[in-house]
Amino acid sequence: MKPFAHFNATSMDEAVEILGRYGGRAAVIAGGTDLLGRMKDLVLPSYPETLVNIKTIPGLDAVGEDRGYLKIGALTRLSALASHPAVRAEYSALAEAADRTASPHLRNLGTIGGNLCQDIRCWYYRGPNNRFSCLRKGGGRCYALKGDNRFHSIFGASVEQGCVAVHPSDTAPVLIALDAEVETSKRTMKVMDLFTVRPLRTTVLDPDEILTGVRIPVPSPGTKGAFLKFAQRKSIDFPIVNCAAMLTFDEGVVKEARICLNAVYVTPRRAYAAERALAGRFLDEETAAEAAREAIADARPLQHNAYMVQVARTLVKRALLACGGQGE
Amino acid sequence: MAKSGDISMFTCPYCSTQREGFEALREHILADHKGSLLPEPANRIRLLINGLEHAMNVEPEWTLYHLIHDRLGMTGSKQFCDRGACGSCTVIMDGLPVLSCMVLAIECDGRTIETVEGVARAGHPLIESYVKHHAMQCGYCTPGFVVTSKALLDRNPDPTEGEIREALSGNLCRCGTYPQHIVAVREAARTLLKEKEDSGGER
Repeated sequence: MKPFAHFNATSMDEAVEILGRYGGRAAVIAGGTDLLGRMKDLVLPSYPETLVNIKTIPGLDAVGEDRGYLKIGALTRLSALASHPAVRAEYSALAEAADRTASPHLRNLGTIGGNLCQDIRCWYYRGPNNRFSCLRKGGGRCYALKGDNRFHSIFGASVEQGCVAVHPSDTAPVLIALDAEVETSKRTMKVMDLFTVRPLRTTVLDPDEILTGVRIPVPSPGTKGAFLKFAQRKSIDFPIVNCAAMLTFDEGVVKEARICLNAVYVTPRRAYAAERALAGRFLDEETAAEAAREAIADARPLQHNAYMVQVARTLVKRALLACGGQGE
Repeated sequence: MAKSGDISMFTCPYCSTQREGFEALREHILADHKGSLLPEPANRIRLLINGLEHAMNVEPEWTLYHLIHDRLGMTGSKQFCDRGACGSCTVIMDGLPVLSCMVLAIECDGRTIETVEGVARAGHPLIESYVKHHAMQCGYCTPGFVVTSKALLDRNPDPTEGEIREALSGNLCRCGTYPQHIVAVREAARTLLKEKEDSGGER
């Protein structure tokens, strides 16, 4: 790797101060599994002058209940999250998503904060030595739009940019379905509001802002969730499509539904139409299939990714049925 | 003895004489320049590798793999993809298998590392069963598999086939020796359990 400076931050204030001093020329490192790959390949037009290690800040890897919320520190490793007894018992969809991310080795390094803040995986964007100076790097065009776009957006490009690279996170759709919020060094916001599509950015975080944790409101009684992932291999791979669903039942009727797809659009995508189609109805094979059709009704696949529409429809249906499959 | 660019030679900031190693320089300054003590540089790390304590100065861009393989000469860990996708460079860090190509050496201060050399030196039955069942063809990925299996057996002495598959799912073998790994790990597990039984259930 090309040289850079390195700081072990001892407190959040210190980390924020260093980031502020470097003003966008520094990067935060936690697990590093996304960042180091990007640096080794010289993917971006700019290379960080310094890395600020936040793993040395104590207390950021705790998981625990706190006044109606489950709080998960940003540095919680995905493997720790997947095996945490409370998460497995009460938020099994989140445990499943964490457990289906990457490989066991990477889950021992990667953190929940990093899984939300990770960069896109579009193979043009990721071309070594900044081979493709694409829209997402402030360049002139999206190479995937007319190129090999078999793993790209099926719901069109982002409004402003025309970039069709999908967001690769496995945990984000579950957190969105759980109506979770992220806490940063500056503010608290819904997980959905964290994501943006701008050159060299996937999140709305300022250059001197650090994600400190996630908090999930305790779901109302009768809520059941599921997470499903479709990828080429069971391990290591990023999702081709993934889907999280949270259904709140009241005497067998779906009172509230929250469904989120990811890896199908430039940000995670709530399937509002499917949620509406399901609300107030009994969950069965037929209503699940109808909701799944609604979820992909506005899909506009590119030349090579029409198959993803079918995958997304099937995943939504299966995730919904998995919510109703057990108990009661 | 010192080659050009050798980081083991240190120059005293007070009298410009050379000392071999940071500790020697520290002792020299404490003894000969009374009352002055050098602060520890920020890039100094101490870590335990295969039971041996190491203290050294590292550059921020060195990965743990670079430190172990290129600087310390322990060539058991292998680099293949260098992007965290293949598992060849696996080492055990604080009991967990991790990819040494995706860890910065400078962030390993205070860590305990175990490499395939340590697994072999301890006479772990995995080595014998890997040889016996020939769970390799070209052998390049083998150290990564062995280290991952060692970490698995440490926390789960009697893994099922499914658990072995899951634990090894981050290691790639292009020769396709996957079925043999399950046989080899199961046998090593049995050997370890038997050893434990023979020693009267004591660890």
